[in-house]
Amino acid sequence: MSSVVRVHEERFDGTAIATLEGELDASSIRDVALKLRRIVENQSLRLVVDLAQVVYLDSAGINLLYAIGGELRARQQDLHLVVAPGSPIERTLAIVGANRAFPVHASRDDALAAS
Amino acid sequence: MRPTPSLELAIRELQRISDAALASLSMDELLRELLERIAAILGSDTAAFLLIDEVSGDLVAQAAKGIEEEVEQGVRIPMGRGFAGRIAAERRPVTIEDVDHADILNPILREKGIRSLLGVPLMLEGRVIGVLHVGSLVRRDFTEQDRDLLQLAADRAAIAIEHARLHAHRQVVEAMQRALLPAALPVIPGLHLTATYRPAAVDARIGGDWYDVFELGRGKIALVIGDVVGRGVEAGALMAQVRTALRAYALEGHPPAQVVELLNRMFATMRPTKLTTLAYLVLDPEGAEFTLVSAGHLPPIIVDPDGRARVLEISGDPPVGAFRGVSFSERRMPIGPGSRVLLVTDGAAEVRGEPLDAGLERLRVLSERETNPRALCGAIAAGSATGGPSDDDVAVLVAHVQPLPEQLSTRWPAEADALGGLRHLLRRWLRGHGASPDETYDITVAVQEAAANAVEHAYAPGVAAFSVDAEHRDGAITVVVSDRGSWREARGTNRGRGLPLMHGLMESVEIVPSTDGTSVVLRRTLGADA
Repeated sequence: MSSVVRVHEERFDGTAIATLEGELDASSIRDVALKLRRIVENQSLRLVVDLAQVVYLDSAGINLLYAIGGELRARQQDLHLVVAPGSPIERTLAIVGANRAFPVHASRDDALAAS
Repeated sequence: MRPTPSLELAIRELQRISDAALASLSMDELLRELLERIAAILGSDTAAFLLIDEVSGDLVAQAAKGIEEEVEQGVRIPMGRGFAGRIAAERRPVTIEDVDHADILNPILREKGIRSLLGVPLMLEGRVIGVLHVGSLVRRDFTEQDRDLLQLAADRAAIAIEHARLHAHRQVVEAMQRALLPAALPVIPGLHLTATYRPAAVDARIGGDWYDVFELGRGKIALVIGDVVGRGVEAGALMAQVRTALRAYALEGHPPAQVVELLNRMFATMRPTKLTTLAYLVLDPEGAEFTLVSAGHLPPIIVDPDGRARVLEISGDPPVGAFRGVSFSERRMPIGPGSRVLLVTDGAAEVRGEPLDAGLERLRVLSERETNPRALCGAIAAGSATGGPSDDDVAVLVAHVQPLPEQLSTRWPAEADALGGLRHLLRRWLRGHGASPDETYDITVAVQEAAANAVEHAYAPGVAAFSVDAEHRDGAITVVVSDRGSWREARGTNRGRGLPLMHGLMESVEIVPSTDGTSVVLRRTLGADA
C-alpha cells in the first residue's frame, strides 16, 4: 500500500500552514503535492510546510519541496520550512542544500513570528 | 381413496417434481418447470402459483402457464378473498365449475376465457405458503381424483419451493458474509498473517463476528477482531458499519484508545445498536511492541519465541455501545521477533455452562501445540478448543512476527507502493543489527533512493522486480540493490537529488553495471560518521 501522510491545514492572515505527518516517499508524493498546491491561495503571502512530524523524507519529498518553492517564487510568494533541530530530516535537507534554499525554522511559532 | 393405475402413473410423474434435477434451479425456473409438469399431468390449459408475501400477507402471483399476465401484472389477492384467497384461508381445495357464476377477484381469469378452476393450498409443516390452481378453457367437472392429484402435486411442490428458498437464502447469507470480511489479508514483509471465519454450525443466519487487518503507515499494522452481539441481517449490517468506522478512525491517525472511544461515541448516534466487543491491536514489528485496546473482548493469546503460550492478563474496558462517554485504556507491551499473536471471538473458546477460563486454557494449550498458523486456525474453527463445532460463529486471526535472517535477501516488485514495505523491513533488520536510529534512518533513505531508481527505470512495466540484499560484517552494513535496468539519474529541474543524497548518507556508493542490469552497492560502518 502507499504510505500514509496526513496533511493538516491552517491559515493565519497571509500565511498558509501545512503540517505534514507520516512518511513522505514516492508512493505518497502525488497526493501530498495536490494538497499542498491547493492550500496556497492567491492572497497567501507564504506557505509554511511543517515537517516536524515527518518521520521519513527522501529525494521524492525534497524534489517536491523544491518544485513548490519554485512555483511560489514565480508568484512572489515564499516557502518556509519547519524542521526539528537535530532530526534526521534536518540532516537530509542539508545534504541537498534545501536548508539554504528556503528559510528553515525550529518551530511553527518561530515560522509565524518571522515575516 | 385408493389410487387407480392411471393415477399411480401420474404419481410417478409427480415424483419427478421433487427430483434432484430440480434442486439447482432458481425459484422462477423451478416454479415454471413445476407448472409445465402439473399442467401435463392434469391435462389443464392453465396453471398458476400464488405465494404468500411474508410482509403483506397477500397472495402474489409468482408463476403462471397460460395466464402469464397474472405474473406480469403482479396480481395480489388478499387472504380470504376471491378464489385463491378462499383456498388459502380455508386451507382446502376449491372447485369452480363455471367461472361466470363465481366470486372471482382476478379479472385476468375471466379475460382469458377460463371456464372451470381447481385450486389447492400449498401447505408446509401445517402452515399455508401459497395456492396452486389449474384452469380449463372449456367447462370441466374436476373429479375427486383430479383434486387429490393436484393436492399431491402441491405437497411436493411446497417442499421443493421451501428447499429453493432456503438455498437462495443461504447463498445470500454466505455472499453477504464474504463481502463483509476482507477479501485478502495484506501482504506485509516480515509478518505472516492468517485468518479464518466459520459461520455458526446451527443456522444459516449472518453472524456478527469479524476480523480486519490493515496498514496504518510507519510500519504499524492494525489487527482487529470483534463480535456484534446477536445474529441476523441487523447484526451483520452493524458489524459492517463498525468495521468501516474503526478503519476510518484508525487511518485518521488517532491513538488506539481514542479510536475505540470515537467508535463508542458513534454508537450513541445510531439506532438500533447492539453491544459490540472488540480487540484493537496495533502491531509495531519495528519497535518490537504492540498496543492493545480491549472492549469487553476475550484477551489475546501470545505465543512467545520459545514456543510457550500465555493468555494476556488484561482488565478490559466495557464493550462498545454499553455506556456513553467511556474512556478506554491502551496497554503497550513488548513483542519480539518469532512471537505470534492469536485473536479469537467467543465461538472459539466458549462452551455453555463452563467458565470462560477453561476454554481459554484449552485455546492456550492448542496454540502451543499447533505451531503452523494455518493449521491452528483450522483446528480452532473446527472446534478443537470447544469439543466440537460451536453453535456460535468463530473468527480467528493469527499474526506471526517472523524472525529476520542474519543476511537479508529480498525481492520486490518495481512499484512505488513496494517502497514502504521495504523501508519497514530494512529498519527492523538494521535495528536488530545494532544500528542507531540515525544510522537506520540514513541507510534506509539511501537504499530507498537506489530502489526508487529501480522502480522509475523498470525495464518493463508490471513484470519488473528488484532485489535488496543486506549483510552486516566487520561492523559495516552493506546493502546491494539490483535491478535488470541500467542506472539513469532522473532528469528534469526538480529531479535527480537521489545520487547526492546517497553519497551524503553513506560511506561509499558504487554503481556497478553488469550484463543483465545494475547493482548499487551501499556501505556504511556503524558507529562512525557517514
